Amino acid sequence: MDLEILQGIISIIIILGVAPLFAGMVNKQKAVLTGRVGAPILQPYYELQRLIKKETINASGSSFISRISPLINLVTLIIAAAMLPVGFWKPLISFDGDIILFAYILGLVRFFQILAAMDIGSSFEGMGAAREATFALFAEPIFFFTIGSISFISGFTSLYDIYHSIQLTNISYEVFIIICSISVFMLAVTECSRMPVDDPNTHLELTMIHEVMILDNSGIDLFLYQYSSYVKLFIYAILEVSFFYPFSKQSYLIGIIIFITGAIALTFLLGVVETITSRYRMKNIPQYLLFATAIGILNLLIYTFTK
Amino acid sequence: MENVLSILFCLSLFYVSVTSRVKAYVTVLRVQGIILSVLLMIPFIYKFSIFGIILPATLLLVKVYLIPRYINKVILDLDIKRRIEPTIQQMVFLPIVIATMVIIFLASSILSKSTELDVIPFASGFSAIVIGIYIIMSRKKLIVHVCGFLIMENGIFLFGTAVASELPMMIELGTLLDIFVVVFLMGIALNKISSTFEGFEVTHLGRLKD
Amino acid sequence: MFEFSIFILLPLVTAGFCYFIKDLRPQYGASIIVALLHLGLSLLVFLGIHHAQLPTFFSVDSSSKLFLPILSNVYFWVVLVSYSYLRRPITPKAEEGKKYYFALVNFYLAANSAAMLSSHFGMYWVASEATTLSVAPLIYFYRSEESLEAMWKYLFLVSVGIAFAFIGILLLTLSAKGTVLEGQQLFFRDFIRNATKLNPIWLKASFIFIFVGLSTKIGIAPMHSGDIDATSNAPSPIAALMSGSLRLTAFLGVMRIFQIIHPTSSYEFARTLIIIGAILSLFVAFVFMFKVNNYKRMLAYSSVEHLGLISLGLGVGGLAFVGAMYHAVYNSIAKVVLFMMAGNIHGHYKSREVEKVRSALNILPKTGWLFLIAYLAISGIPPFGIFFSEIKIFEGILFSDRPYLLGLVMFFMLFIFINMGKIIFTMLYQKSELEPQTINEEKFELNHLVVIILLVMVTIIAVSSPEILYRNIMNIAKDYGMSL
Repeated sequence: MDLEILQGIISIIIILGVAPLFAGMVNKQKAVLTGRVGAPILQPYYELQRLIKKETINASGSSFISRISPLINLVTLIIAAAMLPVGFWKPLISFDGDIILFAYILGLVRFFQILAAMDIGSSFEGMGAAREATFALFAEPIFFFTIGSISFISGFTSLYDIYHSIQLTNISYEVFIIICSISVFMLAVTECSRMPVDDPNTHLELTMIHEVMILDNSGIDLFLYQYSSYVKLFIYAILEVSFFYPFSKQSYLIGIIIFITGAIALTFLLGVVETITSRYRMKNIPQYLLFATAIGILNLLIYTFTK
Repeated sequence: MENVLSILFCLSLFYVSVTSRVKAYVTVLRVQGIILSVLLMIPFIYKFSIFGIILPATLLLVKVYLIPRYINKVILDLDIKRRIEPTIQQMVFLPIVIATMVIIFLASSILSKSTELDVIPFASGFSAIVIGIYIIMSRKKLIVHVCGFLIMENGIFLFGTAVASELPMMIELGTLLDIFVVVFLMGIALNKISSTFEGFEVTHLGRLKD
Repeated sequence: MFEFSIFILLPLVTAGFCYFIKDLRPQYGASIIVALLHLGLSLLVFLGIHHAQLPTFFSVDSSSKLFLPILSNVYFWVVLVSYSYLRRPITPKAEEGKKYYFALVNFYLAANSAAMLSSHFGMYWVASEATTLSVAPLIYFYRSEESLEAMWKYLFLVSVGIAFAFIGILLLTLSAKGTVLEGQQLFFRDFIRNATKLNPIWLKASFIFIFVGLSTKIGIAPMHSGDIDATSNAPSPIAALMSGSLRLTAFLGVMRIFQIIHPTSSYEFARTLIIIGAILSLFVAFVFMFKVNNYKRMLAYSSVEHLGLISLGLGVGGLAFVGAMYHAVYNSIAKVVLFMMAGNIHGHYKSREVEKVRSALNILPKTGWLFLIAYLAISGIPPFGIFFSEIKIFEGILFSDRPYLLGLVMFFMLFIFINMGKIIFTMLYQKSELEPQTINEEKFELNHLVVIILLVMVTIIAVSSPEILYRNIMNIAKDYGMSL
């Protein structure tokens, strides 16, 4: 029992510690693929270090929402991270039905971010918040169709149990892997505002979605936002990698290996996707998300009709 | 394995219903051709025979190389613009496609209770047939109609493997040849249409009426 | 193998020959010889003198015994007049179309014979798709905008339709799951023998797909539009070929699946569908005859009407079925006559519009009179054959379980008769205001002779009612299990 708690705590520490590294690797990958040398892999840590040293200035018209929201952001994300298995280590929080909690905790993150953006009262940030809310509307079904169908297949409703106890024998799990990983990948790209949907590097107000919302934050607040965005990306990466656990036959070591190789492969994939695609036009984004939803529905269809 | 390939086939259908470029249709045709020929080759992994490999090889040649190449050539020659010009918004088209697929999967799972059939390839094939018809109905460019027709043919092919009907090889080759010649003739006709009517959209075809 | 080479290989070889030989005269000669051989052999088979031995996927059964001579008869006369037709002056743009004419026509013969003789659904499909491919470029013979559009529509619509038929064929295999036929080849005779064991749901689905798919080619409403456009814009010999034989080839496919479905519980369902299609075709012809202003389109609608009537005979069954088989024979001959004469009129007036054709009886007396007689023949005026076959169909309907259909059919046909007559009499008799009347003697051409021969033929067959035709048709009826 104690060991499990220890493992859970170690998992969270790993997630929180490695998250900036992951983002750094993606950026490095992208830089290499486009023929640049790029920032060092540890650059996100330096950035965070820089931010933490700076003074926090809040916008004059802002209320307490702006002040608490960065912290809520990070705390909720840490709770979400506590539900995810690293390898086959049991996460700290794991109970039946925690996929719903997971989904809505991520929803809460978004909610507070939108709220904080609107709280400042700048029209730009309001626009960013509106966009974020719109796309979130399309993104939510993707999560539920995908994770929901996986949970149907396994018969469990806890993230850990799903991957730990799924039976590969009676269903063609490969089918689901393909579809789920595609739709979760598309979801991750949307939620973490990566390339085809949103460009994390641009600062052109007309096209920004996520970046525009944290335009008025600085110092510790910006540090928290930035850090939680790294954690968020890594959470989705773990979600994606988790699909491959059932192949490992419950061995702890192989679980960890899958985790590491999967994460590295994912950085590579993200790098490639960000290199070869250009940003979608704003009006095409719902189409993209609908496509991902369609894939999720397809997944559910297959599940329903192949029992 | 059939299921995995059929699902990839379904994904290509989704892609074709959101994309707005003519070239993407050709790519999808290629991908579908590869999927179908891999599907045909599966039995030969276990039991290799030179004779049996003829059909998948021909399929690969016709559906992956010849037809897409020919369509690309037509697109290039006629200088067809890359937008497909739908009559229905993509945002509306995709939900229609999804709804159709849900219905088809539902229906085929009900039907599979009375007859033994592979639901996933069956339903994917049938969806491709219906989506092919949707594409023909809701696009203005005639070249896209040809692509829709070919998607439909691919769907029929998948459907055929699902119902496990083994037509003799001669006839399968005959159907492939027929399809190729149809596409060839359509390409010629498109050439003529573009030079006669100065355009290649359905809206140009309205002379014959009662 | 001998029969196979005459029916299918020889036309194919000739098609290749015609493709490479640039001069029209040897092409014509070769085609005529092939047509004659084909006609002779199919007549021998029809008369029962010769028993054909065909390779796998092909066989001669009662229905192909009847339909093959129809094809070769129509084909022979069409090819006979083709040369004089091709020598008519046409637009310079269309000159290049002549090069491929005989090659395509020969290919058409090969494909159509293969479709009629096939004993396997897959073979039937391949062959009937090939007929579409051979006809489509011929529709574009005149190189005009209308013909281009017609070709595109025909090619596209029929290809999609045929693809539907293929789905139907696949569903038929599905219906055989769990019976002795599972994993077997799709031979007609095996399916007919074991029809009652087939799964009714899939059989019904298969019938729907095959019927709807092939009706694009038959020209049964509501899938008739591509066919109408094609028939009205194709050159007249090709239009005659299409109306006289191509539609029947597609109809044969429907007959085959109907033969399978006949002894099963789905029979009533299939019948109802065919009858609905047939009545709808008659209705479409009835409606469009009121407003049609293009005489070739009028003839195309007449084809829709008559194919509808034949399908009605198939659907109603019994005596009507026998009538329908007779009707197939007579209609094919009458359609050749009508289209040839329409071609002559078109050749002189250079227009397909009814308004442009005035006092044809004065300007083209021979063509005009023959056109009039052909109109009477197609409308079922005695002593032409169509009268007798229609009477049989009507009698069959009257004594079937749905006698009320007769009222509808009669009503539609009456108005079709009146409206067609109105159009034709306007063309023939009404004086034109613009042009002065010049009565010039029309030259007696080969096609007039052919038309007279065909008209005499349709009368003689009908009046003498040869025993062998009756026996063949009775054989078909017996194979279909029609109770008489």
